[in-house]
Amino acid sequence: MADLPGAGLAGLVPPDVLEWIRREPLRLPRPVWGRRHGHHPSARAGVGMEFRDHRPYVPGDDPRKLDWRAIARRDRLVLRRTETEDALDIVFLLDASGGMAYGDAPHGKHQVARTLVAALAWIGARQGDRVALAVGTRDQADATLLRRGQGRERLAAILEALTSNRAEGRCPWSDLLDEAVPRLRPRSLVIIVSDLLDPGAGATDPIAAENDLWSGLSQIRARGHEVLALQILHRDEVEFPWSDRKALEFIDLRGVRENVEAPGGSLRSDYLKRLNAHLAALASSCERHGVALERVLTDQSLARALTRILGRLAGKPSPHEVAP
Amino acid sequence: MTLLAPALLLGLVGLSLPIVAHLLGRETPRRIRFAAVRFLSRVEPSVTHRRAIQDIPLLLIRALLLALLVAIVARPASPRSEALAVVGVPHDAVILLDASYSLEIRHGGRTMVQRAIDRATEVVKALPPGSHVGLVTSDPDGARIAVSDARAPVLGALEDWDEEILRPPGAWVLAEGLPPAVAALSASTDAERPRVVYAVSDATSNGLGSLPENAADGVLLVPVLATDAPAPSHVGVVDASWEPAPELDPRAVRVMATLRRMGGQGPSRVPLALLVADREVARTEVELEPNSRKLVEFTHSLLESTGPTPATLRVNVPDDALPVDDARHLWLSADEATDVTIVNGDPSELRSHDETFFLTTALAAAGDDMRVRIRMLAPDQLEDGMRARPDLLNDTDVLILANAPAPAETVTPGIVAAVDAGMGLLITVGDRVVAEDYNPRLGKVLPLHLREDVLLGTLPGRAEARSEGLAPPDLGHPMFAGIAGEMGLSGTRTRKIFLLEPDATRQAQVPVTFTGGAPALVTRLHGAGRVALLTTTLDRDWSDLPLRPGFLPLAQKAVAWLGDAAYGGSGGGGAQLLVGESRTLRADDSVTVTTPGGERLVLAPNPDAQVILSDTTVPGHYQVIGSRRHGTEVFAVNLDPTEGDTAAVWQAKPISPASGGLQPVASWQPRWHGLVLAAAILLALEAILRSLRGRRRRRRRRL
Repeated sequence: MADLPGAGLAGLVPPDVLEWIRREPLRLPRPVWGRRHGHHPSARAGVGMEFRDHRPYVPGDDPRKLDWRAIARRDRLVLRRTETEDALDIVFLLDASGGMAYGDAPHGKHQVARTLVAALAWIGARQGDRVALAVGTRDQADATLLRRGQGRERLAAILEALTSNRAEGRCPWSDLLDEAVPRLRPRSLVIIVSDLLDPGAGATDPIAAENDLWSGLSQIRARGHEVLALQILHRDEVEFPWSDRKALEFIDLRGVRENVEAPGGSLRSDYLKRLNAHLAALASSCERHGVALERVLTDQSLARALTRILGRLAGKPSPHEVAP
Repeated sequence: MTLLAPALLLGLVGLSLPIVAHLLGRETPRRIRFAAVRFLSRVEPSVTHRRAIQDIPLLLIRALLLALLVAIVARPASPRSEALAVVGVPHDAVILLDASYSLEIRHGGRTMVQRAIDRATEVVKALPPGSHVGLVTSDPDGARIAVSDARAPVLGALEDWDEEILRPPGAWVLAEGLPPAVAALSASTDAERPRVVYAVSDATSNGLGSLPENAADGVLLVPVLATDAPAPSHVGVVDASWEPAPELDPRAVRVMATLRRMGGQGPSRVPLALLVADREVARTEVELEPNSRKLVEFTHSLLESTGPTPATLRVNVPDDALPVDDARHLWLSADEATDVTIVNGDPSELRSHDETFFLTTALAAAGDDMRVRIRMLAPDQLEDGMRARPDLLNDTDVLILANAPAPAETVTPGIVAAVDAGMGLLITVGDRVVAEDYNPRLGKVLPLHLREDVLLGTLPGRAEARSEGLAPPDLGHPMFAGIAGEMGLSGTRTRKIFLLEPDATRQAQVPVTFTGGAPALVTRLHGAGRVALLTTTLDRDWSDLPLRPGFLPLAQKAVAWLGDAAYGGSGGGGAQLLVGESRTLRADDSVTVTTPGGERLVLAPNPDAQVILSDTTVPGHYQVIGSRRHGTEVFAVNLDPTEGDTAAVWQAKPISPASGGLQPVASWQPRWHGLVLAAAILLALEAILRSLRGRRRRRRRRL
């Protein structure tokens, strides 16, 4: 894989993570339906060496695939089918709204989000999967890299796009889904990278906009695609460390909600209560719509986070699904 | 309009203080750009309130309030139109302040007293350096400050007088305060220094109108008018009296009140109520023209009770400018009658020669106007009775010795004591009266000592016997109160009279004289009682007086006046005193006086067996238990109605250089009272707004 663009990757992925991802594959627990040969078990029988099953011969089949031994045992014509491996279509939908701009390096939400996307894209590209990227930022859906591509050029373009990307404005989820969904190949993997804290922000009806997002993801899932939601959260957002009486003015990074001015101590308990309710509702929605959810705190080890993500993609249960 | 302390307007800079303090003192919050703002709620908006001006109306009200306070402190004032002048060189001055109740009249939210005190204060402050000043009030018991170079005591006394809540509603003529004021100046040792009395009062006849041109030799009198604003209209009850009304009911009384309205424009309906025993029993409305009086009459039947009943006539005008004279008090009684004991010294079967026949006939003719119970005694009956019962005369209001020999020496002290205690004594002469017996035994009470009886023809310078008529009586004598014009005595022919010893020290009054000048009727006050001496007979022995039409009113008035003393001058309903007058009672032991406020005063008699009640500063009903004559006595104290006459009779003269070196003084009329009112309203508004905001905030927190 020496031909992959390591220079662009090094600017996005820390060296230890870089070293780690070189060893890790991206696997799905179910067959894929790629157009090209790859490393994922295909849903179709192919030209591989490993036996899959037999099926009755029908006129027009390649007579070279007749399994004579089986024909002798069954006394009828059967074909021998073998397993094949296809490449996977991986589509990243990156939320680059202002809300992702929280946090300083190296624990900024947008930075972590870009690192994860870059790492996963690199792993995919290394396996020969086709990767695509759509970014929602500044109230626009950037779908220029949504056309799936393969190889080092596509990866380099994605890495370059990630490197130059800035988290600003609002992420128009409905536009992003409208751009991405029609272009999805069967059995693609859609990875949503966002904080998912306020997906309806800026809409005339935020609740309706949030419901539309879930409705869109549900439709994607219904078409046979895999959907993974990577929720990137900063520890400040989870723990709300401002508990004293000093006056604070909270400014919405997306620029759509009113500023709130009050002592942090007076806000904390109510904030945590509402945030936890939101996270619980989010987990419930993901479960209901068949979306895998992985929560990543920006100060966590990215290698461990990636291990968990890859494990989740491979079918391992999420930590909160494991019985205590 | 100007400002007395314009420099204090710098305080307006303070208007910016709340805003500056807000800007400087507000806490600058740390700004945090945050993604999860949707989960934040404004649970405590106080920080925001501290930073931003949330309530513009409240800020405006507070700023305006502050501006008003600054304006008040700067003391806006306008030049006073009244001329105020003081002597321009250092001098000795006395402020003579009118303390009578007419200055309690309220105009524009302030009383005339307060205005007078302001003027007096201005005068004191305007005196040239080196002047000495003192203070005298027309109230003899009021504040007095000796003349000195210190002004603080005078200013302090003026301030105290202003703050005194219960000033006695006295009626003092300002001119009567001049002698004390001049006397206060006499202590001055420097004869070269001018001496000035500044008399501060209103323009009424008892105020500045009573002042002479000059106070005394070498003393300049400077009238200072409290205010030249016309006195506001007010009403008051200036007189109240009563009489029995038996033609209506045996216990009926007729109560008369005289209402007066001073000033005003157009007719006004004035409600008047009669209160008996603190209960309103009658009410009426009287239409009064400006500067007019009207007599109002009530009739009322008293309950079956013994003794006098307190009654009050009250004008119910809530916003009357001078409320102090809106009520007048008196005692009513349906049981009281004048008890007359007649000692007939010369009874005769012939009516024309019997003194008691004419006297009883005259008193009986009085009818309902005068209730009299007559007891007839012979001279020896009187003496025997008094020897047996020394208090025989205690229930006698008038003792008439009609041509009676002088009572025995053992008896006359009792008669003198009874007169002392308030009994009336009428002595009519005749053939039985012997001067040598009367003078030593009843000389203490006689108006004048008897000399001898003479036929008028034997008077010095007369050649032959003749009769003499009566001169027109002195109707100014209180005995003849209510009588006007001819009494019908002018045709009287008298042949014989008793001559009297002149004695100016006895202070006798002679209401009736003969045409020759000899006294016909002589009166004198003795102790609490009254004595009258008729120098001719009551029957036709010496005179045809009883046949004259004037005899009836003469006899009735004389007996009524003499008997009036027993009740203090109200004909059986108790005495009527003016505020400040003292009441002398005869008592052997302590008496208890119940004041209008319900206070009980125990007063001990002096060595002369007299109790002098001088604390009569509160108008109302007084009751005395323990006096010698009746056990219980009552009297009412009322205001002198002359002080209620607030008509202006005095006019200020322009100040000229020739008027004793007077120099005008700049004087200012304070104009900040309106600002104070506005500030109070704003303060209330601010409190209401603050309360509403607080309530709304609490409700929001609950939600």
